[in-house]
Amino acid sequence: MAMRITIPGIIRLAWLTDPDEVIAANDSGVVQRSLSGLGGLVQRSIAAKLAVFRTADGDIWPAFRDRADPLRTMSQSELEKALADTRGLLKRVAPETGAIATYIRSGSTNRPPEITVQQMVGRLFFPDYAASEESYDAARALQTWISGGPIKSYLLKCSGELERALDLIITLARGNTSCAHATAIAMENIVEAIERMRRLAQTSDNLEKLSPQEAIAATLRAPKQVVRETRDGGRVCGTHLGARTLVVLRLETARRQKPEAGIEFFAKGWNQCPAHAIVPALLAEVWKKAKADKA
Amino acid sequence: MSRENDGFEFHPTGLQRFLDAAYRVINVFVRWDRLPMLMAAINFAAFRDRLRARNLHHTGYGVPSAGKWKPGYERWRSADGSYNCLAHPRMGMAGTRFARNIPLAEGVPETGEALLEPSPRLISRELLARHEFIPATKLNLFAAAWIQFEIHNWFSHGAPEIGNEFKVPLPPGDSWPENVNGCMHIQRTAPDTSKREPWLGATPTFQNFNSHWWDGGQIYGHDHPTQMKIRSKRDGKIKFDGDMLPEDLPDRPGIDFTGFNDNWWIGLSVLHTMFAREHNTICDGLKLNYPEWDDEELFQRARLINGALIAKIHTTEWTPGILGHPALDFGMHAQWSGVPYRWMRTLLGEDNEVAHGIPGSETDQHSAPYAMTEEFTAVYRMHPLLPDTVRIHSLDKRKHKPKTFDFLRVQGKETRQLMKDHGFANVLYSLGIANPGAMRVRNYPNFLRQFQKDMPLKKAKGPLSREAKLPLMDMAAIDIMRDRERGVPRYNRFRELVGKKRVTSFEEITSIPGIAQKMREIYKDDVDRVDLLVGLLSEDLPEGFGFSDTAFRVFILMASRRLKSDRFFTDDYRPEIYTEFGLDWIRNNSMKSVLLRHFPELGPALEGVKNSFSPWNVVA
Repeated sequence: MAMRITIPGIIRLAWLTDPDEVIAANDSGVVQRSLSGLGGLVQRSIAAKLAVFRTADGDIWPAFRDRADPLRTMSQSELEKALADTRGLLKRVAPETGAIATYIRSGSTNRPPEITVQQMVGRLFFPDYAASEESYDAARALQTWISGGPIKSYLLKCSGELERALDLIITLARGNTSCAHATAIAMENIVEAIERMRRLAQTSDNLEKLSPQEAIAATLRAPKQVVRETRDGGRVCGTHLGARTLVVLRLETARRQKPEAGIEFFAKGWNQCPAHAIVPALLAEVWKKAKADKA
Repeated sequence: MSRENDGFEFHPTGLQRFLDAAYRVINVFVRWDRLPMLMAAINFAAFRDRLRARNLHHTGYGVPSAGKWKPGYERWRSADGSYNCLAHPRMGMAGTRFARNIPLAEGVPETGEALLEPSPRLISRELLARHEFIPATKLNLFAAAWIQFEIHNWFSHGAPEIGNEFKVPLPPGDSWPENVNGCMHIQRTAPDTSKREPWLGATPTFQNFNSHWWDGGQIYGHDHPTQMKIRSKRDGKIKFDGDMLPEDLPDRPGIDFTGFNDNWWIGLSVLHTMFAREHNTICDGLKLNYPEWDDEELFQRARLINGALIAKIHTTEWTPGILGHPALDFGMHAQWSGVPYRWMRTLLGEDNEVAHGIPGSETDQHSAPYAMTEEFTAVYRMHPLLPDTVRIHSLDKRKHKPKTFDFLRVQGKETRQLMKDHGFANVLYSLGIANPGAMRVRNYPNFLRQFQKDMPLKKAKGPLSREAKLPLMDMAAIDIMRDRERGVPRYNRFRELVGKKRVTSFEEITSIPGIAQKMREIYKDDVDRVDLLVGLLSEDLPEGFGFSDTAFRVFILMASRRLKSDRFFTDDYRPEIYTEFGLDWIRNNSMKSVLLRHFPELGPALEGVKNSFSPWNVVA
C-alpha cells in the first residue's frame, strides 16, 4: 500500500515499498523515469539535481533515459553483451579482486578499498582505467549531490565541486556515460557490499563456513530507492497515483520482503541492470579469494 | 537547456520579468479575457515571453548541411529556406525536423494498448462526427480556405509510411468499409531516418518537407526545381495558362500546378491563383521602378514582397477575424505595426517590438533555433471549418442559379472544371458569403470521415508513384492518432505544459450539453486521458474566440515567432532588400485590396466589409 504526502505547491509524493507494487510501478507506462520538475517545489528541486547528469553535448546518462528511448535500449544491450564474458572480465580485474579479498580477510589494505572498487568497475569498461583519491572523491561528490540535503547540495554547486566532479568522472570514462554511471553512482552499492563482506568475514568462522552465494545473499543489497514520476494520473497495482506525483520506489525495503524477486537488478524488467551477472560474479570471486587466502 | 538548443537562450528584460510576475498574480484573480482591453493585450505579451523562455525545444536539424550558398541569398530567400539565418544556415530549411513546444521528455508517445486507447474510431463516431452543421457565423468559408493555404506554406509531414499501419479495433456495429480483421488501418507518419542526437531521449522526430519559414512556399515551392517549373522565366513572373494556373499534368489532372498542391479544392485554387496574379502585378511594379533588373531579381524581390503581404494579411486580418476579441485585435495590429499610442512607443523605446511591431525589429530566436513544432501542427487541426456541401452562387443571378455541391465535387480532380464552369469571382463570392463550420465537437465534416484521395500517393522522398493507392481514411480518427503517435500530450497535460491549470473534471472542460458525460464514458472517467483534439474542440471559449484558449497559447508563441525569427521580417525588413516600392506595397495593401484588384466585380459584395474573412454582403 503506497504512502502518500500531498502539500499543494510543495510536494506530491508516493512511496512504494511493497515488492509487487514496486515491480508493477517500474513496468507501468504511467510511471516515467525522467522528471519534469512540475508538481511542487520538491519535485522541481529533485528534477534539477538529476538534470545535471548529462555530458557537455547533452548526452543523457543511461540510468536517466526513458523506457522508450532507443539509445537506452541500444546502450543497455551493448553493455549487457560487453559484460557477459564474466570469465574474461574476472581475469582482467584479478589484481583488484585480489586486493579487495585481502581487505575482506585482514580488514586492512594498502589502498582504500573504495578506490580499488572504483578501479575494478572502471576496468570492466577500459582495461587501463585508473582510479585515484580524486576520482573517488568526485564519485562521492556526485552521490552526495543526489542524496544529500539542500545545504550540502548548495555548497557543492556553489563551490564548483559538482562541475569538477562531473568533468573528472566523464573524462576518466572517456565520454562513455555507462562507465561514468558505473564508476560514480552504481559502484557505491559494491563498496557497501564489500564493507558488509568484511564485517561478515571477521565475525566467527563465516569466511570458512559460508559459500560465495551465501555471502552474496547476506551482503548484496538493492539501492535504497529510486525516483520516478507520473506525468498523468493512472492506476498502478490498484493504487491511483495523481498526475505529477513523485514516485519513490523503496527498492531495498521491497527486496527484503521478497528477495527472490530480483529487485536489486530489476531482473527481467525493461531496465534490468546490465551488470546483473557481473556484480555477483565479482563478489563471489572476492569471497572465494578471501577464503583461499585464509586457507 | 542551452546545449540542446544549439546555444540559444532567452534573456528577459527587467520589464519582461516584472510583467511576468505581475500577471502571474493578476491571473490568479482575473482571467486575461476579463481584463480591460489594454491590460489584456499586455497580458498576451507576458504569456508570450513566458512561453518563449520555456516552450521552445530544439530536436536537432536532421539534415547534415544546407545546400550550396548562391549569390543572392544575402538579399532574397532561398527556395528551400536555407540561409535565412546566416549563422545557422540549416535552420528552418525544408527537410529539417519539427521542433517541440514542450520539454522533449514530455513528447514521448504511449506504447502498446495505451496508444490506441480509447479507440480513435470510437471518438470519431461519438464525439467528432457532425450531427448537424454548426456554423461559425462571424467568419466566411474563404477564411477556412485561407488557413489551409497558410498551412501548406508552413508544414507537411510528407506522405504517410506504407505498411506497418496502426490497427485500430472497430467498435461493435461499425460498418467501416475497409474492415481488416475487425480493425481499421491507419498509416503512420513518415519516419525520420536521419541520425538522432543523443540528447533527444525517447522523443520521436519527424521531418517537415516544407520550408518552416513564412515564405510563400505554397505558391513558390519548397525546392529549386519546383520553383523553376512554376516560373515563366520572363520579367520575374509566374506561369499562367490563360487566366488560370497551368494544370499539373500528367500527374494530377484537374489540379493546378503550384508550389504545394496537396488536398486541392476550389478554396485553394482561388487563393493560389489570386496570389500568383498578385506576384505578377508586383513584378510589373518593380519593373517600372527598376527597369534594369533581370528575371531572377524581379522574381525573387516580388516573392519577398508577396510573401510579406500574405504574412501581414494573416496577422492583422485572419487572426483577429477568427479570434474576435478586442485585445487580440489590438495585439495583432501591434505585432505588425506597433502600438498606436505615442506615449507607449516613447516609453518602450526605439527597438521594442511591442512598440513598433516585429517587422523591422531585431531578429531573435529566443531559446531555440526556429522551426515549426509538432504542437503547433496539433493545434492547427481545423477540419471542422469545412462544410460537407458548398453552395456556388453567381454574382449575376440572371446567368446562374445557386447550386449545391457535395464537398467531394469541389475538390481534387473536379476542381479545375468547376472553376472553369463558374468563374473565379463567383466561386470567391460563394466562399465569401458562406459560413465555415465552428471549431466544436460533433462538427467534424462527415465527408472527411470516409474519404479516399483520388490522386497518386506522393512518397515522402521519392517520385510520384502511380501504383500506390491510399486507403480509405477517417480523417477524424487519423487526427487523433497523429497527435498520439507524435507524442503530443493529451489535453490535460498539454494545458499544464502551456501554462494553464489542469482540469479535474470533464465539466471543467466543457458546458456543451451531453459532451462531458459522453467524454466520461469514452475516457472511462479519467480526465487525463482526454485527447488533445477532443479537449480543444470541447473547451468553453473566451468571448469572441473561434477556437480554444489552450490552442491560443501556442498561437501567441508561434505566430510572433514566425516573424521574429525570420531575417526577412526583422533585420532585413528594409528598403535595400524589399525596395521602397515593396514596403509601400505591403503597407498599403490588404486582403480586400488584393481581392478587388484581381476581381473588381466583387466590389458590391465587399462594400463596407471591414474584414474580408467575415461574411460578405449578399448581392441582391
